[in-house]
Parts: sequence; structure tokens; C-alpha cells
Amino acid sequence: MRFGAAVLGATLLIAVIALGVGAPEHLSDPQLDAVLASPLEQLPLGTDERGRPLIDYARQGAGIVAGPALLAGLLVALFSTLGGLAACISPRTEAVLAGLGEVVGALPRMVVILVVALVVPRESRSLWPIALTWALLATPGAMDEAAAVARRLGGARFVEALRAHGFSSPRILLVHLVGYNLRPVVVRQGLETMMQVVFLEIALSYLALADNQPSLTHSDSTRSWAAILDLGYKVILDLDAWHALWTGLGLLAMVAGAVVSLRFATRAR
Amino acid sequence: MKRWWIRPAVRLVAATLLPVLVPLVITGFIWALPGDPASLICPPEVCSGTEELARRWNLDGGPWNFFSAWLSGAVQGDFGRSWRLLQGAPVADLLWASLPLTAALVSVAFVLVLVGALGAATRWLPDWADGPLEAVGLVPVLVLALSVAATVTMSFGARAFEAEAVVVKVVLGALALGLADAALSGTVIGVRSQVEDERRQRYVRMAALRGEGELQNALPNVLPALVGQLRARTLHLLSGAVVVEVVLQLEGLGDLLWGGTLVQDFGVVLAAAFGFSLLSAVLLAGQALIEILVALHVRRSPAVGAV
Repeated sequence: MRFGAAVLGATLLIAVIALGVGAPEHLSDPQLDAVLASPLEQLPLGTDERGRPLIDYARQGAGIVAGPALLAGLLVALFSTLGGLAACISPRTEAVLAGLGEVVGALPRMVVILVVALVVPRESRSLWPIALTWALLATPGAMDEAAAVARRLGGARFVEALRAHGFSSPRILLVHLVGYNLRPVVVRQGLETMMQVVFLEIALSYLALADNQPSLTHSDSTRSWAAILDLGYKVILDLDAWHALWTGLGLLAMVAGAVVSLRFATRAR
Repeated sequence: MKRWWIRPAVRLVAATLLPVLVPLVITGFIWALPGDPASLICPPEVCSGTEELARRWNLDGGPWNFFSAWLSGAVQGDFGRSWRLLQGAPVADLLWASLPLTAALVSVAFVLVLVGALGAATRWLPDWADGPLEAVGLVPVLVLALSVAATVTMSFGARAFEAEAVVVKVVLGALALGLADAALSGTVIGVRSQVEDERRQRYVRMAALRGEGELQNALPNVLPALVGQLRARTLHLLSGAVVVEVVLQLEGLGDLLWGGTLVQDFGVVLAAAFGFSLLSAVLLAGQALIEILVALHVRRSPAVGAV
């Protein structure tokens, strides 16, 4: 069961990254004879209202989110691991982390994100500063949770006990602490941050699209997955764009599926 | 345990500093941007009164002068004027007009979260509900908000901005806000885990043997953690409110902040962020107060009669 979930999660995650690798810089030229073609008429995802393939949108959108989301997830996982290890080495770390979490987490995250987006010059707008800020905001909570897991193990006394059994320090820290005990928390925090960054990008891009303004997360020449959802949403205006709606929701489900599967595969026994 | 007051004290200090620090940082950002702030509002190549505008809006005396003038105005309810969104309009009017909708949206969503928390704590909400709630919680707030927007558009059409439609938007939007992004499921699972852990403690088992209620005994010890969790969920709801308000075209505080960010209106962003920081400060202070009351309650020596 765990192995199956791990394979499924890894496959979905790799699929998202692969979509983004080598994404086209610009959309294909309009084809007015293939407007809103269904996936059966125009493989693999159909076309938009100008006959441009939706696969270009999907690839550009993946290109926007893949790198920043991965980096944010890795950063949170790394700091969460350090938080757990520090709690085993220095008991005072926990109080410091809790205090840091209070200060950093005192404001709604979206407010901080919008303030950061506000000061990024228009010509260099991208998801990177936003994803890094999100990771920074998520880090104290993740470190605090990992430290709580380490405390439940016994903290420094757990390390001492294993040392008394003759285990080397690197083995205790990397295998017993990180591998056996912190892994579920660290992986879950990293994966959830990744998913949150992807969903945040889609939300910010959609809101900008709704206001007919340039996006805060990417250049004007690229399209986010939000553009697919926006096209799909127009089915309520009787536009025959159901394929876009399903594609947009499918891409979101792909990210959520990857996260849920990998989280399941690495959960505590 | 002797230093129980440290955490509430840190929260009270943070609550006091937050409404000052947030505008201070944003003011720093304004001056860190290339070019002087007055030319952001009124570029000299297209606008002739840049110097006069800078003088009138306190932009000519440096960041500290601007910040101190803005803060002293804010204390008296004057948040300056909009730089771009509605150029020249008093921001205080925009802020007061936007607050009721955000308050209604977040309050209704919070009621949902609170009911979930109470249901989990009292075991009224069964364990098996966690799975379905978790599945719904995976849906991003944008998707649920779009579903609500579609429902409202199809039901009300051109009347989507009338009072009745706004009420429907607020209620359904709050439902979306409460369910999406694990707001409800996270609360239910978190509260259940904390309360059940406490119920398993030896002192609670002993109290049960004496015929006392489990929750009645466990509650004082878990209350600070539960209040902390509810505060975090409220911040989460305030974050999501930005998305819900913009998608449903509800003119709330989040919509104001978003509009200000899109057009780089520092006047509006400064005031909206100050509003959010005030709300966050009130939540922090509330949590600290509850922690202090609980700490005093559990440390109160029971009156023991002479044997």
C-alpha cells in the first residue's frame, strides 16, 4: 500500500515537473479553425477560444510553479529537520522557536505576501520571492512541530540513550532521529508547503486575471494554470469550455494527489 | 511551570508592537523603491505638481517624518489619501466601508470552525468525519469561491450586486472559506488530537473514577493550546478572505488590499495592512489574556476544610 502510494505520488510529481521543463516561451499562433476544440479533436488537452493548444498553457503554468514550489518545500523540510535536531541538542531551542513562530505567524500570510508582491518591481515580477516568503512564514511552525516530535521522543535523553548503546552520532541524528522519527513531519511539512505555493500562484494569477491586470507572479508572455481555470469558468456564460474546466481542475488534482500520496507513503508506522 | 507568564507576556508585547511595526516596514519599503515616493504618485514627466503633492502628503521629509505623521493621523482615524486606486480619496472612508463585509465573512466562517472544534472536543463529531472533511479541505479556496461565484451568477444574474445577493455571497463565501484549505478539517483533527491526548492523562482518569466529567477536568489544561489553534485558524480565514472577496466581488478589507497591491497604491496598502495588523494584535492580546486567566485558575489553591 505504502509502496503503491509512493510510486503514484512520485509519478504525479515528476509529471508536473516534466510538464514545466522546457515549457514554450510563448503560446502557439492562434488557429481560428480550431477554436475551443475538445481534447478528442485536438490532442491532448484541446484548445482555447483562439485555437491555441491548452497543453501550452499547462506547460507554461507548470514552468512557473515547479521550481519555486520545490525550493519552498525543500527549504521548509530542511529547516524543519534542523528544528527537530536542535531540540535534541539544545532544549532551549524550543522556546526560541515558539517565540519566533509567534512573531512571524502573527499576521495573516496573504497580507505579508501582498506587501512583498507590492515592492517587487513590475518588470521583474516572478513567483520566486513570493514562494521564498511563503517558505519563510511556514518555517517557524514546521520547526516547532518537528521540535515537539523530538521532545516527545525524550530530546537529549533519547540521543544519550542511543549513544550508550554504541551508535555513532551521525547514525543517531540521520537514521534514528531524522529517518525513523522526524521523517513523517518533515516530509508532510515540505509537501504541504509545495502544494500551498502552487495553489497560491494560481489564486494570485486568477485574481489578477479577474481584474484584467498583469500577474504578480509571472511575465505577461506566459500563462498560469489560472488562465485555464478562467477559460473553464466561462462555461457559466454558455461558452463550450468544459474541457478547459476539467483540465484546470485535473492539474490541481494532480498536485494534490502527488502530495496526498507521498504524505501517505511516508506517514508514521 | 514557574515561568508561565513568559508566553503571554511575549504575545502582549508582540500585540503592542505589531500595529506600529507593520506600517513602519511598509514605509521603509516605499523609500527603498527606486525613485522618490512623490514621483510614484505623480511622475514629473506627466504631472506638474509633484513637489506640491510631496509637501502636502508629508513625502518630502524622509521616511521617518512620513511615518510619524501617518501614525499620529492613524491614531485619530485619518489614514491619509489613496495614491492610485481612487486617487485623492480619503483612505479612512474606504477602510470603514470595507470592514463590515470582511467582519461578516470571517465571523460566519469562524462560527463553522468553532462548531467543528466544539464537536471534536465533545466527541459529538465522530472520528469517521475526519476523512471526508480532510478530502474537502484539500480543495483550494479559489475553486470553492469560483463555485460560489458561478452559483450566484446563475441564480441572480444582473441582480448579483443587490443586497439579497450580497447576503448569499457572504454566507456561501464564508462556507467556502471555512471548508477550503483545511480550515475546518485542520481544526477538527487538531482539537480532537489535543483533547483526546489530555483525556488519556492519569489525572483525568482518576477524576472520571470520582464521577467527575472528563472534559471538565481536561479543559483548563488544553484551553491555551486550543485558543492558540483557533487564533491561527482565524488568521488563516483572514488570508483566505482576500481570495473570496475578490472572486465574489465583495468590497471588503481583503479586496481593498488586493486592489491597492495591484496598482501599487501605498496609501491604501498601508491602511489595509494596518487594519489587518490591528485585528492580529487583538487576537494575540485575547490569546494572552485567556492564557493568563487559565494560568491563574489552575494555580488557585482549593479551599480545604479543617479535618
